[in-house]
Amino acid sequence: MFKKALLALPVAMAVGAAAQAGEWQDPNDVLQQFLQENPDSAYLHQSEMNIMMMPDNPALWLVDEGEELFYAKRGPNNVSLEGCDFGKGPGELDGAYVELPRYFEDTGKVMDFEMRLVHCMKELQGFTSDDAAVGQRHGNGSDIMKLTTFIAHQSSGMAWNPPLDHPQEQAMRDAGEKLFYRRGGAMDFNCASCHGDVGKQIRASVLPHVGTGPEWSKAVSWPAHRAGHDNVRSQNHRIRGCVWQMRHAGIKADTPVNTALISYWNDQARGEPAILPDLKR
Amino acid sequence: MFKKNAVAAGMAAFASVALTAGCAVADGSKGSDVDITAMSADELAEHLIFETDSFRDQEMQEGGDWRDRMTQDDLQKACSMKGDPDGETAGQVVAMARASYEAPESIELGDWRKGAELADSGYGYRQGHRTDDHGQREPGGNCYNCHVFDPRVSDQGTIGPSLQNYGANRGTSEAVLRYVHEVISNPHQYFPCTQMPRFNSDRHQLLSDEQISHIMAYLLDPESPVNNQ
Ligand code: HEC
Ligand code: HEC
Repeated sequence: MFKKALLALPVAMAVGAAAQAGEWQDPNDVLQQFLQENPDSAYLHQSEMNIMMMPDNPALWLVDEGEELFYAKRGPNNVSLEGCDFGKGPGELDGAYVELPRYFEDTGKVMDFEMRLVHCMKELQGFTSDDAAVGQRHGNGSDIMKLTTFIAHQSSGMAWNPPLDHPQEQAMRDAGEKLFYRRGGAMDFNCASCHGDVGKQIRASVLPHVGTGPEWSKAVSWPAHRAGHDNVRSQNHRIRGCVWQMRHAGIKADTPVNTALISYWNDQARGEPAILPDLKR
Repeated sequence: MFKKNAVAAGMAAFASVALTAGCAVADGSKGSDVDITAMSADELAEHLIFETDSFRDQEMQEGGDWRDRMTQDDLQKACSMKGDPDGETAGQVVAMARASYEAPESIELGDWRKGAELADSGYGYRQGHRTDDHGQREPGGNCYNCHVFDPRVSDQGTIGPSLQNYGANRGTSEAVLRYVHEVISNPHQYFPCTQMPRFNSDRHQLLSDEQISHIMAYLLDPESPVNNQ
């Protein structure tokens, strides 16, 4: 299957070869390149143990399971997800993940990855929110995280490139920027309170800086095995965690505020290769 | 409020677009027919927060609901820019913060041991998938998240300056006590648009007077480990 072909690619590639925007690269190769090119980034270099563990990233275990789920006929309608269009055409997964969120004609709105996946599982396969298949969003055991990891992996090493051609895409990205800098909640935080400077720490966590491309590319590279949680986590899970720490109100999954934030944060990593899946603290 | 107008404008714009072009526009919320491209980025951000069902409908620990929590006061609005405030904004923010500060009659230092616990504790005011229950545990100050007080105790953050030997270097004169009380209550009086939260301001009181007196003791009491390094 094409996943196998992809895994064989990095062997053929000379290590250290300059990353081309459209080329698949092994997540560990992308990380190594970031580390070499940014020797002074405290964020990138913060955990020697995680760097060592990266070739055996436990998140990679979910890739095979996700692939099986993707091609299996499932749900009340008994169809696979091959009919799902993530923006590059039905079933076309190469590079799809790094070019989200995007505007979809069929729904008339901008959707982020998870929103789109859930949309397809409901519309094509016939699942409802009550089914664990879409209801359960978090953890290695969830279908959503397995599918997310498999699909995202098909874009590893490719440059973040969320489209901004449609006026709604630009509008959501710009609103996301406003949300990023909007002070609010019980403690007056915005996202930049903790991600607006280089090399700062919240307790033991070194914080990624939104204005430093390679740091931010790794920062938004979810799915990632989060060592502290011993589970693979998503972009949505990270947003939920940061919004919780910020003492804003509790954010819900599949909502436009999420999508706008992701539109902005993926845009801030534009041009940098994605590490998919990544491994984090 | 401009938010309402924005939505109204969006609705009007949608009606005309739908009539002329028959083009589908939506902002992502179910059943919503709002043209998001007709709004400014600020208007759309407010619209997304308040009109798209993106937040859980929960009671906030300080009272009120999620809308109250997410509604900005003047200081938050003034500080929502990228980077540092310009001179004019900084001046306005300092004036706002000073105008709303109420100095206590007298300031006493409390118990530095309790202050150390409060400076360490990150409990309180979190909402959502797990909501902090202030009936179970009192909220803390989160100070270690951003400041080093005493590197011997635990991992401490670096978003703010190190406060090691803070009292040893400054003493405990009335002026110092007043300054520290002002900074903890509303730091924008000295540092306009700082990342540090307001712990006792006209928006709300996150730390009680007693809690603040304990934390101040941790910073200033000559016996406190902060001042013996
Ligand atoms: C109070 C501080 C704080 C605020 C405010 C905050 N974050 Fe975070 N954020 C963190 C911490 C701590 C981490 C974990 C970093 C680590 O473990 O190295 C993190 C991690 C992240 C990451 C992933 C990087 C990683 O290594 O885990 C992203 C992306 C991110 N935050 C985005 C945001 C966005 C978007 C907002 C605003 C909605 C936000 N953050 C607000 C503290 C904060
Ligand atoms: C989100 C990070 C953050 C948190 C939480 C925080 N501070 Fe701060 N604090 C700062 C920053 C940043 C400054 C520096 C002011 C500036 O330049 O913005 C500061 C400044 C101060 C100062 C003034 C230092 C001086 O130069 O005189 C004191 C005192 C202080 N903080 C105490 C506290 C205490 C006590 C707590 C907990 C109740 C606390 N801070 C919580 C970020 C924080």
